[in-house]
Amino acid sequence: MILLDIFTFSGRLHPLIVHLPIGIILLAILFNILSYLQRYRYLKQSVPLILLIGFMAAVLACVFGYVLSLSGDYDADTLTHHKFSGITLAIICGLLYLSSISKFREYLRVGDKLFSALLLGLVVLMSYSGHQGASLTHGKDYLTFRTLMQQEREKPATVEQAMLFEDVIQPILQKKCVQCHRDGKQKGELSLESLAALKEGGKNGQAAVPGKPDASELFKRITLDEDHKDFMPADGKAPLTKNEVKLIAWWIKEGKAEGGKTIAEIKNTTALKPMVALFLGIGGLTDSDEGDSEMSQVVNPDLPLAVDAMTIANLKNKGVRVRMMLNKPVMLDITLPPKSGIKVADVKTEILKLAKNIVWLNFSDNELTDQELDFLPALTNLEKLRLDKNPITDQLSDYLISLKHLEAVNLNETKITDVTTLKLKKNRGIQRVYSWKTNIAEVKID
Amino acid sequence: MADHHHHEEEFRLHDPEFNRLNQKLDRRDFLTKTSMGIGALALGSLFGNKLMGNAPRPAIINATGDMEQEILRALPHFAPKAKRVVYLFMSGGPSQLETFDYKPALVNMMGQDLPESVRKGQRLTGMSANQSVLPLVPSYYKFNQHGQNQTWVSELLPHTAKVVDDLCIVKSMHSEAINHDPAITFFQTGNQLPGRPSIGSWLSYGLGSDNENLPTFIVLVSKNGQKDQPLYARLWGNGFLPSKHQGVQFGSGKDPVLFLNNPDGYDGADRKEMLAYLSKLNQIQNSTYGDPEVDARIAQYEMAYRMQTSVPEVMSVADEPEEVFELYGPDSKDPGTYAANCLLARKLLEKDVKFVQLYHQGWDQHGSLPSGIAGQCKATDQATAALITDLKRRGLLEDTLVIWGGEFGRTVYSQGKLTANDYGRDHHPRCFTMWMAGAGVKPGISFGETDDFSYNIVKDPVHVHDFQATLLHLMGIDHERLTYKFQGRRFRLTDVEGKVVKGILT
Repeated sequence: MILLDIFTFSGRLHPLIVHLPIGIILLAILFNILSYLQRYRYLKQSVPLILLIGFMAAVLACVFGYVLSLSGDYDADTLTHHKFSGITLAIICGLLYLSSISKFREYLRVGDKLFSALLLGLVVLMSYSGHQGASLTHGKDYLTFRTLMQQEREKPATVEQAMLFEDVIQPILQKKCVQCHRDGKQKGELSLESLAALKEGGKNGQAAVPGKPDASELFKRITLDEDHKDFMPADGKAPLTKNEVKLIAWWIKEGKAEGGKTIAEIKNTTALKPMVALFLGIGGLTDSDEGDSEMSQVVNPDLPLAVDAMTIANLKNKGVRVRMMLNKPVMLDITLPPKSGIKVADVKTEILKLAKNIVWLNFSDNELTDQELDFLPALTNLEKLRLDKNPITDQLSDYLISLKHLEAVNLNETKITDVTTLKLKKNRGIQRVYSWKTNIAEVKID
Repeated sequence: MADHHHHEEEFRLHDPEFNRLNQKLDRRDFLTKTSMGIGALALGSLFGNKLMGNAPRPAIINATGDMEQEILRALPHFAPKAKRVVYLFMSGGPSQLETFDYKPALVNMMGQDLPESVRKGQRLTGMSANQSVLPLVPSYYKFNQHGQNQTWVSELLPHTAKVVDDLCIVKSMHSEAINHDPAITFFQTGNQLPGRPSIGSWLSYGLGSDNENLPTFIVLVSKNGQKDQPLYARLWGNGFLPSKHQGVQFGSGKDPVLFLNNPDGYDGADRKEMLAYLSKLNQIQNSTYGDPEVDARIAQYEMAYRMQTSVPEVMSVADEPEEVFELYGPDSKDPGTYAANCLLARKLLEKDVKFVQLYHQGWDQHGSLPSGIAGQCKATDQATAALITDLKRRGLLEDTLVIWGGEFGRTVYSQGKLTANDYGRDHHPRCFTMWMAGAGVKPGISFGETDDFSYNIVKDPVHVHDFQATLLHLMGIDHERLTYKFQGRRFRLTDVEGKVVKGILT
């Protein structure tokens, strides 16, 4: 990156310097008002000196502000208002100082009351100028009554209900682009603050060409090499994540760079749905920048995001193997070592505490009976269950019918019969049942 | 004094690996140790093992250690599909043309010179580069269609053909190395030059153990493979990872793990006590020198002790019914053969050993390929298929990934003289076939395609690094995020490349 030249550098100090005169002038006003009280009379003498310092600080702020304005990209009207109100402020401040020192009093005599009134007027002018300045930096609607009343869009409950532009694309633009590309500060003459502004395009043409990501300036800029001088976001600001880029490409291509459509209304959504879910935090995961990966996966949304570490430690101390399958949300694989001699009753409390985290469970070869396994219905997120080599019977399958995430059940070398086959058909989620060396030859679930 | 200190500094290794050591050698630290440390040690022995010995030793905080912990804490990156892997490594480079990559068009081109439009000036090995002609040769063996998807499989693999609906056959593998050593090293470690950790070591480092009584990474080398190309322990070495992550080779003789049995005249009754004292001595040593290898040694003594019971138990096939031996074939009763190793692999996987790697040598048919490959297939086909069948019926294929493949393929042209029923094939890294089965991979599909000569890939190429990335992905690891800093660089199994082959994932 090129080093900023000294002008740009000092220009950027304007927002810092500008607070000096604000504070100093406020102090002058405070002292002036306090001096009406008998107790603080003596403060009156200090006001001219404070005003002088405030004046000098204001001049400095004006100079820096002017340098900053040269870098362009600011809304012209607001800038003019800010500039002239600022300069006026500095001049009035200087004049008030002059009027209060004896040498000039001969030419310009201002009464005490008038002096105080003028100082208060200065506060009004300062507030106005400050507001204009803030609008330049943060956008016109940063601090308005409308902002105060505005309501946040309600988060959609499902991916299908989500509005592609309003819920997905606009938040991305807000987060990564709008700081520079907005109504008050149109870098490259482009604003991405609203869909209407986006459609107007910027200096380099249309930001988003419906259906053609590669022809869209917006998409081109965010997909350049990070070292390229035209890469956006510029100046080392946080780039868009891989998923965000993919979502924008998809919005331009399939969403025709339009708003007002839900995900369900748009074609070819299958590949992108997981990403949208991830982005909106549906399904327990969020698309954090650090965890961004080409292989982000969508996980069962019912899984808890946390787990009680003490319970896990207790289980491990009792000889149960606990394997972390995923940290967020927490997925656990619990194994009772074969012929462990551990009684289920001794570990049931812990298992029930972790019930919703358990995704794989392996209790094979532990002399278990149906009754001991009556806690299974509580394991609502269970996907794979191994109970092979246990003296369990057809009764067991009653516990499995309500488990809607269950995919595979291993009942090899148990006492099950065809009754289990029939019962398990009630759970349509189960795809594979292993029944080798049982009274059933082969379980076929179709 | 300051000068003296500075002088001394130069003799210290400024490598992150040694930061801990350097810290421990500080004078101030030494003083603390001599006053507090010895006192604490005395206290420790007073209170006995229970109070002090079991407490984890306080880790010395340093930047490198923190970063390593940070990386390990994030694992697994995805919910894993596979819990264990068995990798059947066909060492020597099995010919894709006589096994899975059916090229019927070659029959009419037999004896013709390999067209330059196909070879495109590509390098050949020194063994066939000087041949005046490169005569095309079709497979000596017939192919038939098998399974629901009518997959073409060679008649040399009748048993594998029966389980073909469970296999995900990748016909578009390609490698960068053209000779055995660099090619195997590349497959095992992601780099052609020796020195990096093997796949199993990375998995052990990243994911830890699921059965503390057995090593996480076990290697079995068949005794009945032709030992034409050597194998060496560095192929399952830990490289720069802590040495407890190295693969443990089980021998094919009477004692699969040497010196595990008690010597004659000793019943082992006080071994535990002896090891407790030894461990204490080692810890004293370690608190002075801080050498990570001492930690590894302590862990290995403890592992060896546990293996005294766990290994004989897992090696014993006495409880296996006759039907199992029939399934794996007659060799399975002869310990150390490929078939016996396949059976043993199943038993190890049943015990949740994370990574079992079998090697079967002898696939390097430069000459007399028809008879050579027939022998190789006969020695491996039935047991390979049996392993799939056995894992499947036990429900273990749910969360076990099975991999079959060599380090490269073989050329479509004959190396040496081509006769009606004899030919050879040279090394060919541009395309070859591997298959995977089980957890997380699509069953019954073929992925990738080669041209009519099985010389170049025409669709969906899979590089060795892509294969490694996919393997790690199935185990829940993002191959770009499992790194280890060594000599100033963060290393990973896939070096700086590799893309997960999404097309074969379920």
